[in-house]
Amino acid sequence: MVRGAGRGGRGIPGRGGMGRPPFSRPRVLMLRPPFDLILAEPAFPRCKPAPDDAALTQALLKRHAELCPTPTEQSAVLSIVTKLQTVLDNLVVAPGDFAACQLEEVRQVGSYKKGTMMAGKNVADIVVIMKTLPTKEAVEGLSNKVNEELNKLMRAEGLGNVSSTCHERGFTVTAATAAVRVLVTTLHQNLRKLEPEVHLDYKVISSHLAAIRHSRWFEENAHHSSIKVLIRLLRDMCARHSGLEPLTPWMIDLLAHHCIMNNPARQALPINVAFRRSLSLLAGGLFLPGCAGLPDPCEAAHSRAHTALDLAAQDHAAATAQTLLRVVARGGHRYVLGLQAFEGGKDISTEITVWDGVVVSPLAPAYHDSPEPMDTEDKDDDGIQDGVAA
Amino acid sequence: MMAANNYFGFTHGGTQYGAATASAAYGGQTGYAVAPAATAATYGTQRAAATGYDTAYQAAAATQGNLHAAHAHAHAAAAAASAYDASKSAYYQQAAAAYPTAAPPQPQPAYDTTAKPAYSTPATYAQQYGQGGARGSGGAKPAYGSVYTATTAAASYPSQPYTAPAAQPAKPLYNAASMYVAQQKTGGGGGWKNYNKSGVGATPQRRPKPQPKAQQLHYCDVCRISCAGPQTYKEHLEGQKHKKKEAAVKVAAAGGAAGARACGASALRCELCDVTCTGADAYAAHVRGIKHQKVVKLHTMLGKPIPSTEPTKLTPAKKTVAGAPKVSFVASGGLSTVGASSSVPRPADKEDEKVEEEDEPEVQPVGQDYIEEIRGDDGKALSFNCKLCDCKFNDPNAKEMHMKGRRHRLQYKKKVQPDLEVKVKPSMHQRKLAEAKAQRMLVRDELWARRRMHEAGEDDERAYWEGADWWRGPHHHHHHQGMGMGYGPVGRRPETSDDRHVLAKHAEIYPPEQQLQEIQRAVSHTEKALKSLSDALADHARPKNQAGKAVIKTEDKKDDKPEGKEDGRDNQLFSFVGEGEAAPASGDGAGAGGAGGAPVGGPGVRALKGVMRVGLLAKGLLLRGDRDVRLVVLCHDRPTVTLLKRVANDLPHHLNKVKGPNEDAKYKVELQPAEGAVQVSDGTVNVVVSLTSAVMREPAEGGDIKRDDKDVLPRQKCLDALAALRHAKWFQARAASLQSCVIIIRIMRDLCRRIPNWTPLNPYAMELLVSGVMQSASGALSPGEALRRVMEALAGGLILEHGPGLRDPCEKELVDALGNMPAQKREDLTASAQQFLRQIAFRQINKVLDMEPLPKVKHASGGWKFPRKRRRSNTDADQDTHNGDGKVVKTEEKADVSEINSNAKK
Repeated sequence: MVRGAGRGGRGIPGRGGMGRPPFSRPRVLMLRPPFDLILAEPAFPRCKPAPDDAALTQALLKRHAELCPTPTEQSAVLSIVTKLQTVLDNLVVAPGDFAACQLEEVRQVGSYKKGTMMAGKNVADIVVIMKTLPTKEAVEGLSNKVNEELNKLMRAEGLGNVSSTCHERGFTVTAATAAVRVLVTTLHQNLRKLEPEVHLDYKVISSHLAAIRHSRWFEENAHHSSIKVLIRLLRDMCARHSGLEPLTPWMIDLLAHHCIMNNPARQALPINVAFRRSLSLLAGGLFLPGCAGLPDPCEAAHSRAHTALDLAAQDHAAATAQTLLRVVARGGHRYVLGLQAFEGGKDISTEITVWDGVVVSPLAPAYHDSPEPMDTEDKDDDGIQDGVAA
Repeated sequence: MMAANNYFGFTHGGTQYGAATASAAYGGQTGYAVAPAATAATYGTQRAAATGYDTAYQAAAATQGNLHAAHAHAHAAAAAASAYDASKSAYYQQAAAAYPTAAPPQPQPAYDTTAKPAYSTPATYAQQYGQGGARGSGGAKPAYGSVYTATTAAASYPSQPYTAPAAQPAKPLYNAASMYVAQQKTGGGGGWKNYNKSGVGATPQRRPKPQPKAQQLHYCDVCRISCAGPQTYKEHLEGQKHKKKEAAVKVAAAGGAAGARACGASALRCELCDVTCTGADAYAAHVRGIKHQKVVKLHTMLGKPIPSTEPTKLTPAKKTVAGAPKVSFVASGGLSTVGASSSVPRPADKEDEKVEEEDEPEVQPVGQDYIEEIRGDDGKALSFNCKLCDCKFNDPNAKEMHMKGRRHRLQYKKKVQPDLEVKVKPSMHQRKLAEAKAQRMLVRDELWARRRMHEAGEDDERAYWEGADWWRGPHHHHHHQGMGMGYGPVGRRPETSDDRHVLAKHAEIYPPEQQLQEIQRAVSHTEKALKSLSDALADHARPKNQAGKAVIKTEDKKDDKPEGKEDGRDNQLFSFVGEGEAAPASGDGAGAGGAGGAPVGGPGVRALKGVMRVGLLAKGLLLRGDRDVRLVVLCHDRPTVTLLKRVANDLPHHLNKVKGPNEDAKYKVELQPAEGAVQVSDGTVNVVVSLTSAVMREPAEGGDIKRDDKDVLPRQKCLDALAALRHAKWFQARAASLQSCVIIIRIMRDLCRRIPNWTPLNPYAMELLVSGVMQSASGALSPGEALRRVMEALAGGLILEHGPGLRDPCEKELVDALGNMPAQKREDLTASAQQFLRQIAFRQINKVLDMEPLPKVKHASGGWKFPRKRRRSNTDADQDTHNGDGKVVKTEEKADVSEINSNAKK
């Protein structure tokens, strides 16, 4: 305790002669979380009656019901995923004469695993971890093998054929009403050995590994059904507004989790509050450079989820959310949620609208791709670097 | 900065008008200082105590008066020890640290030599003090020296508040104190005190107490430890240990000596550490112990008196120990905080105990045989094992103590010698518990009040950091100390481009010195003239039989005034009520307050009670080009048009009287009955003086309508003026102390002036908004971050319809300060803030601030390659030449050669 004083008492306080400067890395960027009304409530006590949000809540629930996959869809996906899992498990346990590759593990990931599938998108994801290096031939071989085995199973049950097509992430098994994407990755230690020409892309491979981590995190932390409801709503909203399209499902997962759960009481917030909060956080620059954003729990310390977006996309996403926030504030949530198409399917976030005489106009982008690059290197994609330092 | 902290008024000048250039001249005037004056609480708004802040503090109100009195006494070096019990040690600490040389009976020989010259001029005092401090802390001298020289603060010392006490130590302060006490009563249960964050006038009272060391040492007086930084200090203050200690001190002080001294007759006390030991051995062990040594070291460093170990035993085993050294310590403690609260009440008590103790035989150690020594290979006793009690000691002393101890003796009695007499202990633990319980309610209230006070302390400190240059000024070194140890939110971070832009803009909009001086002069003259006018009115109204007395009193007052407060420059209420009439008036006032503010038309009551600066002036938000300032005069009764006319008629005369003979300002006084105000104008500055009265807040309905209702000034105007008073108080208490808050509010004012979309945001709402945003941040914000955060809040839809609204803390009811803003304006404002936010995020803050982009700092992007000290050495090189330059160069040889050259030249 006295140490501080002792140091102060020495000749040159805190400077020189101390051996090592107080910061070995002075340039630690401590980014601040954005203003969040839910967390700042003590500073802004409500002094007018809470708005009647029944309409918004109803709209949110109605839209969610529309977005939920029907039981038929769910069972179709379930059926093919189960079969495929069986086939792959067999390959893991008893490869037999299958020599194209060796499988280490098979895991379900993505929206199917998380329980956030959307109606009309009956695509489940399975990650296959290969012991061997994921060459394109290995993927093809696996695809053929899976196709063959799966068709056997299907025929045994008297169901229709499946087809399998390869792509750069692995292959997709498509049945009549549902499909499964098999995403290929490899063991961590193999990552270094990848060669761009021979194997699948490094980024793709590591993103598949990340998907496994995401699923696990989700299972442990975000199982609350409010979160799932909000995720569906947000994914739908993002898909329909061009500015928000670049947001990845993982960002949306984190955002939804943050909006529902991160409050002083640690109790799930009502869906209407959380929905407003998500818009207001996005509008308040949660995903802008220079903001702490949402820490990615599945990456090295202190990396931020939104740095996957480029600067223009960050700007555009924020601007879109800002416009949508104001539209919702004026009572335009039905358009934002997609319950009602806006003037024949136009993107409401890019149009000037009038609500009860109040004009809501979209915003101009702030980011310019200037020839002299803006001095953004410390605000930009420095998540990992800072993460190491901090 | 250090020195500025000694003179709090100056600090605040610096704080609110943070730019370094302005602060020096400004400090001389103390114009915007929030230094508190004893009169602060006079403002007897008769509001029923029901606003946000008050509930918890009511209980503390009673004691506070006392406390402040005691405090002032301490300054005046009056040694009335009995007055100190209720006081809190925190106060004393500051007092001591601030005015160690001002107290005539110098407790410390070390200071004696320096003390005398110190009285001659304030400036020397400061220097002396610096040396004294350095000496005290042994080796810290260069550090302090550099701090002083860097700030050129000595030049600006002749600020009023300090010179007076230096010249005449005792009297004015004493007067102030008594006056304050009286006025505490006047204030009754309601009024402004409730707006002070620490409750009940505590803030203004403590403000003048500079804490010169606080920034450096973060010394907790209760626990006698120092913390590495504000963060740890804060954490400490919030910690259980501290709270416990605090409560104990409280109990000791409040419950008289009995509570604290209940602990055993043979108790010895270490005054320094405020530790009670159960026996001579324990005491000896304590004195040897590291904890005690630490405290000694710390106190040496702080230049606090250190009572010599031996004589300060409170209740020594042998009663031969004289009271004399003890007494001397009490005196010094009173002056300088150390143990004041706990030690003072004791002497009488101690005597009793000593008497008791005589009969008590020294306890003989028993059961030596049952203690086996465990020896190492070399035959040296390594440890001892008491077989009776089944415990081990490494230290022979501990063994001795154990053998004398009660537990051991009980065991001995049980297992060996049943007839051994073991003294039944007056179970001090249980007694303590019971007492603690009995006092819990009291303590809890007190704790609340104290917590507020601590917060206030931090605010003061933050205010210190808040000056515009807080992160780059030379005073930054001591900030360093904590860095290695997890400094927390206040930790320094590199100054970002945003910060530089905001500060540059701030410097641009900050009013020039001359403008401030003009305003200051006009306001000061107006205030003095109003005071003089009030005196005249009071004399006139006084019945004949009191007239003679009154004249004398008035003269007294005139003598005193210059030493006290001569205008409202501390931004507190400038009361017209003199000391002489304070007592009777306060009696009336208190009665009035209690009765809900029914006006008491006593003969001695003044029509004009006091004046206070409000609005931009009080808040320190003036910008370049602002010419209109506001004063509010509190009247005793409903202000009438007649009164207003009278003021308008008489004021020119008094203005001429108060302004110096060689000042050529021509004042024009203009009556504005519709506004309920008069405007004093000297051509460049317009001072609007509104008349109002606390009585106006009462509903005017019922049969009690004043006969001259038509004559009364417009009610709404009067209420507005009252609200302005509250807003100014709120601002000083809440907003001004937040990091970066004032800077950002000025920036935002400028924004609201420039941009049409922002104009509808009324100033008060904007202040509420900004302070709320700052308050909700987890730590201190740099200006760039702060501006961005404000934009984030607005962009996130804070002021849109579904938002919570901006609660007006100055109103009893839930009032939205932004309630009347139309939807389209909210929409536009939000959209604009959203655009600004993205511009800030994408490095275009210059567009938001409407300025040219500043050039990049050299190495701004690659700065991390260079140790921080290097960069600083570029800015204030002469402080840095002594050490490590060669090394610096060596490590950076690979770097920019020209850079090195420029550095070497320095």
